[in-house]
Amino acid sequence: MRVRDEHKEATIRQKAMEMIVAEGFHGFSMQRLAKAANVSPATIYIYFKNKEDLLNSLYNDVHQTFARVALENFDPNASLEDGLWLQWKNRMKFIFEYPSHYRFYDQFRNSPLIHHKDIKESGFKEAMKSFVMNAIIRDEMARIEPETFWSIAYGPFYSLLNFHLMGKSMMSDQYTVSDEKMKRLLRLVLKALRP
Amino acid sequence: MEYTDDILIFKTNVKSAPDQLRLKELFDSIPSINNWNVDADDIDCVLRIVTRQVQADDIIKLLTATGYQCQELE
Repeated sequence: MRVRDEHKEATIRQKAMEMIVAEGFHGFSMQRLAKAANVSPATIYIYFKNKEDLLNSLYNDVHQTFARVALENFDPNASLEDGLWLQWKNRMKFIFEYPSHYRFYDQFRNSPLIHHKDIKESGFKEAMKSFVMNAIIRDEMARIEPETFWSIAYGPFYSLLNFHLMGKSMMSDQYTVSDEKMKRLLRLVLKALRP
Repeated sequence: MEYTDDILIFKTNVKSAPDQLRLKELFDSIPSINNWNVDADDIDCVLRIVTRQVQADDIIKLLTATGYQCQELE
């Protein structure tokens, strides 16, 4: 009996992600994917039931990778400063190591597809939640809504990183981030989060 | 664990919901079909069947006799 060919499946996944990152969800089809991945449409249907199944599976897979990288060495009991710094570092690592994963992830999360019943979120959320709760209990940060926390703690981080990814900002044609710049931003963010 | 040779893939013209309902009635009577779906969004209305016993030719005969187009997708 023939077992799933994981290498072929991985190629199909990678190609699908690249196509969506380059062209968006709208024009994406199984037929076009088959051409781009240089396999027959039938081969794609061996692995995935339809477009929806493929997209959900891609997202769940990418989310798992994201959660694995983001939680590396992360301790929910860490201080707010150490924990948030590690989160920023880990997220940068994910974005730099898996650029097409990140862009696909971002596109998917900002589309209605994220509300599909087959979308699974891992234990990632719980770890983040307990990190924040611990910081509040220790009086390291103000008691604020999770959305407000996210906006302050990660909004600036992603904004600065986006200048880097675009390679420019409104002030300069060449912008790159560094640990030093990120640390400066972190100090301001921590100030804003204080009780 | 799904083995890839337990999966049959066809090009069909099963497009509308009533057509799919018709197919459901057909396949419900075949216990060795574990799982199936039609991708109605696809230009080839791809029918995907997971089965261990049924042969591709049997499916083609069955659908053709019911008045649908059905051929193995390359």
